[in-house]
Amino acid sequence: MKCRRLSLSKENRMKTRMGLAMALCLLAGGPARAADTIKIGLMAPLTGSWASEGQEMKKNVELLAKEQNAKGGVLGKKIEVVTEDDGGDPRTASLAAQRLTTKGVVAVIGTYGSAVTEATQNIYDEAGIIQVANGSTAVRLTEKGLKYFFRTCPRDDEQGKVGAAAVQKMGARRIALLHDNSAYSKGLADEIDAILKAKRANVVFFDALTPKEQDYSAILTKLKAAKPDVVFFTGYYPEAGLLLKQKKQMGWNVPFIGGDAINNPDLVKIAGKDAAAGFEFLSPPVPADLDTPEAKAYLADYKRTYGGAPASIYGVLAGDGFRVVVKAIEGGKSTKADAIRNYLVNGLKNFPGFTGKISFNQKGDRVGELYRVYVVDKAGNFVMKK
Amino acid sequence: MEQFFQQLTNGLAVGGIYALIALGYTMVYGVMKLINFAHGDLFTWGGYLGLTLLTSFLLQDRLGVLAGVGVLALMVMGLVGLMGVLLERAAYRPLREAPRLSAVVSALGASIFLQNALMLLYGAQFQVYPDGILPQGSVDVFGLRIPVVRILVLLASLVMMAVLYLFVQKTKIGTAIRAAAIDQGAARLMGIDVNRVVSIVFLIGPALGGSAGLLVGLYYGQVNFTMGWVYGMKAFTAAILGGIGNIPGAMVGGLLLGVVEALGAAYLSIAWKDAIAFCVLILILIVRPTGLLGERVAEKV
Repeated sequence: MKCRRLSLSKENRMKTRMGLAMALCLLAGGPARAADTIKIGLMAPLTGSWASEGQEMKKNVELLAKEQNAKGGVLGKKIEVVTEDDGGDPRTASLAAQRLTTKGVVAVIGTYGSAVTEATQNIYDEAGIIQVANGSTAVRLTEKGLKYFFRTCPRDDEQGKVGAAAVQKMGARRIALLHDNSAYSKGLADEIDAILKAKRANVVFFDALTPKEQDYSAILTKLKAAKPDVVFFTGYYPEAGLLLKQKKQMGWNVPFIGGDAINNPDLVKIAGKDAAAGFEFLSPPVPADLDTPEAKAYLADYKRTYGGAPASIYGVLAGDGFRVVVKAIEGGKSTKADAIRNYLVNGLKNFPGFTGKISFNQKGDRVGELYRVYVVDKAGNFVMKK
Repeated sequence: MEQFFQQLTNGLAVGGIYALIALGYTMVYGVMKLINFAHGDLFTWGGYLGLTLLTSFLLQDRLGVLAGVGVLALMVMGLVGLMGVLLERAAYRPLREAPRLSAVVSALGASIFLQNALMLLYGAQFQVYPDGILPQGSVDVFGLRIPVVRILVLLASLVMMAVLYLFVQKTKIGTAIRAAAIDQGAARLMGIDVNRVVSIVFLIGPALGGSAGLLVGLYYGQVNFTMGWVYGMKAFTAAILGGIGNIPGAMVGGLLLGVVEALGAAYLSIAWKDAIAFCVLILILIVRPTGLLGERVAEKV
C-alpha cells in the first residue's frame, strides 16, 4: 500500500487533489449551512447530584426550540441548541462555559446552582454573551453590575420577604427557623430571620441540621421543646420529607412551611401522604396553575412529547429563559448581545411566561412578586393557595 | 428531664443501627487487620435488596407482618452475606500477602464499584419503601411517646447482637474465629482452616450490615445509593470508639455514639452534632488509645 501511494502518477495526484477539494467543499457545506442558524447555548447539570434538574432543563429547552423552528425559527433562521454539561460543579462549569463561548452561541441558558453559575458569569460577560440563569437564586449574582447576566428565577431576598409574610399570615407567635447549612438554605433562613426580627416577631429557634442523614428525631425533639407555632425549613425536599414523616411518628402536630427547594413530587413519596398533607411551601407558579393560553398549550405539548407534566419548576424556568432570548432577538432584530440586553431591559414588558409575567430590571432580575404559596393536599398533590 | 429521656431513646435507636454496621467493621478488622471500606456500601445494598424483595414477593401480605419481615430479613442477610464472601474472594484474598495498603486501596475501589453499580441499576433518585409495613403509632412509656417502630428497631438490633455474641463465644466456629483473630499462623498450626474462617467472617459481617440497611429502609422509609457513606463513617467511628476488633466494643461504641449525638444536638447545637460526637471520640482515644473495651495489643499498626 505504501509503495503504491508513493508511486502515484501526476495525473492520479491531480485527481486526488480534486477529490480532496470536493470533499472539502462538501464538508464546508455543513458549517456554511450552520452559519444560517442562530445558536443558543444550554448549560445544565446533566450529570452529578442535580442530574434530574439538568435533564429537565434540556427537555424544556429542546422542545421549545423545536416548536420555534416549526414556526420558522427566528429572524428567518433556524435555532440550534448547543448543550454543555456543567455537572453541577463550578470547575466543570467553567470549562463548559469556555467551550460554549468558542462555539458561536449568542446566548446561554443556565444554570441551576448559584455557585455553579457564579463560576461562569465572568466568562460569558467577557465574551459578550447573554446568560439567562434559571435556578440560581443567590442575591449577589445580579449585584455585580454584569451587563449581560439575567435570571428567570427570583432572588432569595424576595423569597425571604414572601416567606416572612407567609409565616406572619399564619398568625404564628413563636417561629422556628431550620436550615441545612448550605449557602442557599442558610442565606434564606438569615433573610427571613432578619425580616422577622425587624418586625419584632419572636424567633424561638434557629439552627441547622446535617443533610443526607436519615434520623432527624433528635432535632425534632429539640424543636418541640422550643414550643414553636410554626417551623420554617429552608432546605431541600429529601430532608423535608423525612422531617415530616418523623414529626408524624412523634405525634407532633406543628405546621411546617418550606422554601422553593421543596417543589419536587418526591417529597410526598418520602414523607407519605398523611404526613405531607397540610405542608406549605413557596414556589414560583408551575405551568399547570397559569391560565394563559400559552401555558396551557405548552403543557399539552410537553405532555404529548414526554408523557407527563414537567417535574421541576427549574426546567420550566430554563424554558422561559429560552423564550425571552428568542423574543429579544426577534424584537431587537439582532443577535448582538447589546441589542438583546437592551430589548430585555427596556422592550420586554409583562411577557407571558410559563411561570408568570416576565419583565427585567437593570440588574437583570425579574420584576414583580413571583412567589406563590403552595400546600400539599390529602391526595399528595401540590395545590396553589389563592 | 422528659426531653433528656426522649433524646436518649432517639439516640439508642440510631445507635443500634450504628452498632449493627460497626460489628461488620470490627469483625473483619479483628481477623484480617483490614478496614473493609466497602462495608458501608454493602449496608446500602441491604437496603436496596430489601426493597426489591419486599415489592416483588409481597411477603408481608402472604405471611403476615412479623413473619414476612423476618423471612425478608433472612433473605437480605443471606444475599448481602454472599456478596461479602464474593467481595473477599475477588478483592481481598488475592492481596492477602500484599502490603496492607494495597488491600485498603482495593477496599476503596470495591466501595466505589458497589456504590455506582447501585446507581446504574436503580437510578440516582431516592427509592421509597412502601408505606406502613411496620406498625405505626407510638406507645406511652413513663410519659414518653415512643414510636413502636423505634422500639422494634432497637430490639431487632439488640437481638442480632446477642445472637452474634453467643455464636462467637459459645460455638466451635466462634472459637475458631477468635483464635484466628489472635494469631492466624498459630491458628493454622492448630488445624483451623483460616480461609474458611475469613469467609465466615465475611458472611456474618456484611449480613449484619445488610440487615441494618433493611432496618433503615423499613424505619425511615427511603434509601439512596450514597447513604452508606455517612452510616459507614459513623459505624467505623463507633467501632474505634468501642475498641476495634472487639465485638462487645462495637455494640457499646455504636449505642454510645448514637446517644452522644442525640444529647449533643439537644443540649449544645444541632449544627455541631457531628463535631461533638468526634470530640468525644478524640477525648476517649486520648484517655484510652485502644478504645473503651479494646485490649492492649503488643503488635501495633
